[in-house]
Amino acid sequence: MSLLRSHAGTDGGRGGERAPTVPAPPGPLATPHTGPARWARDLAMGMRFAAGGGREGWIRTALTAAGVALGVAVLLLGSSVPTLMNSWHGREKARENLGQAHEPRPAGNTVRYASVDTTFRGAPIRGRLVRPDGAHPPIPPGIRHLPGPGRMLVSPALKELLDSPEGALLRDRLDYTVAGVIGDDGLLGPQELTYVAQSATLAAPDGYRIDHFGKSWDPPPMRAPVVLLVIMTCVALMMPVMVFIGTSVRFGNERRERRLAALRLVGADVRMTRRIASGEALFGSLLGLAGGAVLFLGGRQFASVITLWDVNVFPSDVAPGPLAAALIALLVPTAAVLVTLFAQRGVTVEPLGIVRNRPPIRRRLWWRLALPAVGTLLLVPLAWQRPWTDTPLNTIRLAAGSMLLLFGVTALLPWLVDAVVGRLRGGPVPWQLAVRRLQLSSGSATRAVSGITVAVAGAIAIHMLLTGMQAGYTHAYAQSGKLPQLGLWGTSKGWPQTQRALAALRGTTGVTAVRGAIDGLVGPMPLAGRAPARGARATVAVGSCAELRRLARLGSCRDGDTFLTDIPDRDRVIAPGATIDLNAPLAEDDPVAPHPWKIPGTARTARLIAPGHGPGTFSYDLLATPSALDTNRLNGPMTEIKVDFDRATPDAVEHIRNTAARIDPSMNEFSAVDNPHTQQYTSVRNGLFVGAAITLLLIGAGLIISTVEQLYERRRLLSTLDAYGTRRATLGWSVLWQTTLPVVLGLGLALGCGLALGSLLLSMIDSAVIVDWPAVAAMTGIGGGVILFVTVLSLPPLWRMMRPEGLRTE
Amino acid sequence: MTPEGSLLAAEGLYKSYGVTPALDGAEFSIHPGEVVAVMGPSGSGKSTLLHCLAGIISPDSGTVRYGPHTLTGMSDAQRSALRRTEFGFVFQFGQLVPELTCLENVALPLRLNGTKRKQAEQQAREWMERLEVESVHGQRPGEISGGQGQRIAVARALATRPRVIFADEPTGALDSLNGERVLTLLTNAARDTNAAVVLVTHEARVAAYSDREIVVRDGKVKDMLAGLI
Repeated sequence: MSLLRSHAGTDGGRGGERAPTVPAPPGPLATPHTGPARWARDLAMGMRFAAGGGREGWIRTALTAAGVALGVAVLLLGSSVPTLMNSWHGREKARENLGQAHEPRPAGNTVRYASVDTTFRGAPIRGRLVRPDGAHPPIPPGIRHLPGPGRMLVSPALKELLDSPEGALLRDRLDYTVAGVIGDDGLLGPQELTYVAQSATLAAPDGYRIDHFGKSWDPPPMRAPVVLLVIMTCVALMMPVMVFIGTSVRFGNERRERRLAALRLVGADVRMTRRIASGEALFGSLLGLAGGAVLFLGGRQFASVITLWDVNVFPSDVAPGPLAAALIALLVPTAAVLVTLFAQRGVTVEPLGIVRNRPPIRRRLWWRLALPAVGTLLLVPLAWQRPWTDTPLNTIRLAAGSMLLLFGVTALLPWLVDAVVGRLRGGPVPWQLAVRRLQLSSGSATRAVSGITVAVAGAIAIHMLLTGMQAGYTHAYAQSGKLPQLGLWGTSKGWPQTQRALAALRGTTGVTAVRGAIDGLVGPMPLAGRAPARGARATVAVGSCAELRRLARLGSCRDGDTFLTDIPDRDRVIAPGATIDLNAPLAEDDPVAPHPWKIPGTARTARLIAPGHGPGTFSYDLLATPSALDTNRLNGPMTEIKVDFDRATPDAVEHIRNTAARIDPSMNEFSAVDNPHTQQYTSVRNGLFVGAAITLLLIGAGLIISTVEQLYERRRLLSTLDAYGTRRATLGWSVLWQTTLPVVLGLGLALGCGLALGSLLLSMIDSAVIVDWPAVAAMTGIGGGVILFVTVLSLPPLWRMMRPEGLRTE
Repeated sequence: MTPEGSLLAAEGLYKSYGVTPALDGAEFSIHPGEVVAVMGPSGSGKSTLLHCLAGIISPDSGTVRYGPHTLTGMSDAQRSALRRTEFGFVFQFGQLVPELTCLENVALPLRLNGTKRKQAEQQAREWMERLEVESVHGQRPGEISGGQGQRIAVARALATRPRVIFADEPTGALDSLNGERVLTLLTNAARDTNAAVVLVTHEARVAAYSDREIVVRDGKVKDMLAGLI
């Protein structure tokens, strides 16, 4: 030891000159070594203590490592999200081409390409039709050769669905021979339903020609509520993890202090003991780091079976960026050392024991209140300037405000526990023991419980945000979905084809009514030499008299007739005898030649049956029969069909989709039949619930460890109490109360903070404040479960430590 | 054979920890109001004998009788109840609940027996007065001296008016002055209440406070008065 008097070398090899019986005079005091070498030596010594402390030492190190490992695994998972989304978007970009600004001419290396997405029982299916122009068409990733005509390549998940009895209806729709399976490179995730088929009939209006795959496309920015959700989830998940890591590092603190006192007795100075203690913590955290990496690598294998918000990824996608991984590897051990040093503040390790020279902590309220108050001040203006806009400043304010509010809860908890238990008097013995224990020292309990508080407050706020968002969609879908109706639209291929489509749909199982026409946008003729002042401004519908009668009350009608509808606010340009442009530009800079058409002077007025812009309504200005207006002259004529169906007929919607696919695979659907948000939000809510439950269990594990550690430190006292005849139940109940009091107070605080934060977040997205009471009940229920979990698991060691062996001194 | 009039008696007690025998056919008896010192060197089995007599542990064989009851045939719950109501304990250290005040510590056995809080604390206060530690009633064990702590422990052992007090090295952690004061108070109080005291010690000075001494050596008991092994 550096402080011991050093005799070695003081005689400079002249020891033989001294009389052996005369003790050497005291040499000069050795100067304490400092610097990195000293630090490294002491840290290494601490690490050796952690590794060589026998079975008990190893158990303590293993507990610390397990706690840190769980925290590290969650941190690695959280930091994988950006890379995960990057690789997800990267694969989407690599396999897609949304059309080129200058469509290439047909050549050996071009392909006609069309999107034919569909939905089957609520599950989205990505479909692409291809028709190569030559022998060397571009090939998307995951595919070696494009399928032949009438054949398709499918994702493994789609193949499984098609091969199953549940996929029978879908097999009718995707009427291609399965020629192979798309490889992982061509899929966003293992659960994705997708196919690439070759259609021999794919022609010009449907799809576009491309000469390569891979698009210069950036993912659309996330909507503001989703950004809110992501920020909140990160804050709510990371904070308890940090709290848990902090708690884990302090496992076995008292025992460590006693060991350090023994080291002081043999000459270690105070700084050395701190460095040695840091070394011990460092060893546990380094083991935890390695364990966390292993846990993360094992856990990410489950990524393939999880779909959150339609995002399903391969396990290999779940990987943190190198910078994030390096930061975790650096910061976690550093944090472990800092927490250890922080835990030793006010503690002096003396040779004969520990001196706690810190005066009893009087928990002050002002700074604890200041944190949530500042957080609220940051958030309230954001709630006022609704709706929330996603700017960098707002994001920082939101994250900082939420963190301060949540961190404020953890800061308030010790004060609250002290304030409440300080006022508790009386009660039965178990209650008294628990209350007195908390009055004497509530630090370790509140430290662990603060993690629960953050997790529950965060989860409640996020649940409220999700519920508000989901309620908005549900309301919109409920409004739209009142009518059992499905809208279909696609590029028009002329009236006869549209008429056949209408007939086919009328003959489909479960269909009760079908209305449809070819429609297009028309506008005023441009003035000579001038660009049109405005684009298209009116809608024309073309159909047979029979079909037009389903849209409006016409009176008499013959092929060749034209009608002006009674729609209000119709442009004055649309009048009998007026010449309009059927090829009206859809945008001001749309370079199209005008197609003049004169509205017959005989055009009569017709009354629309259901005028309007909502579901089940039509807003046509002009109705024309096929002989009156050539639909080929319209700019992008579309077939638009509305199909009413019988809700009671099983799979009526799927039958309609099958018919539509047979008519034209590229026909699009507009419907409120499947609310994708319900499934998305439900999966996110479930994921969040599971995450919060795991966090609470994690914290419960920390509580158990600190409770058992506390019991271990008091085993002699427990044995004495047993000798007095104290019932096991008495001490069991005292453990229960000792856990319950801080947890209940923490949950109460979490409830208040979560509801306040949730209300603020909902105000930001301009949503009504809805409290998700079942979620609140579930979260508090889990909190209650944690209490029981901790108590029940603490009982066996409690009873073991109550054995008389604790009284033996020899 | 139980000696006539004895309150607590043990016959043929055997107890071993693994392969190490702690008691090897030990005999013991004590009468009401009697103070018996159990002496012997470290590791001789003194504490094991005390633990068997108090029903804290069960011997591997042999019987312990308390009045008409046979402890060795009782369940754990019955023995716990007996310890709660009939016995009192004083140990060398680690016996006071650190988070409770001294008054609450003394009242604890009474409260465990179901006595109401106020009544328990009233009785506890009387015992604290008697043991001259009333002044520290509101303080916690960590805030008082070792001698005061041990007197609190004695007050706690006496609070339920036990018929037998088991004291395991009660002065082992005290200086001689404090030790003697504690022993005087303990034995006087026990004699006043006609309680028997089993006093485990390895100090002759402590044994001097007893009416009778027995010596435990290699798990066997020698009664110094009767000269029997």
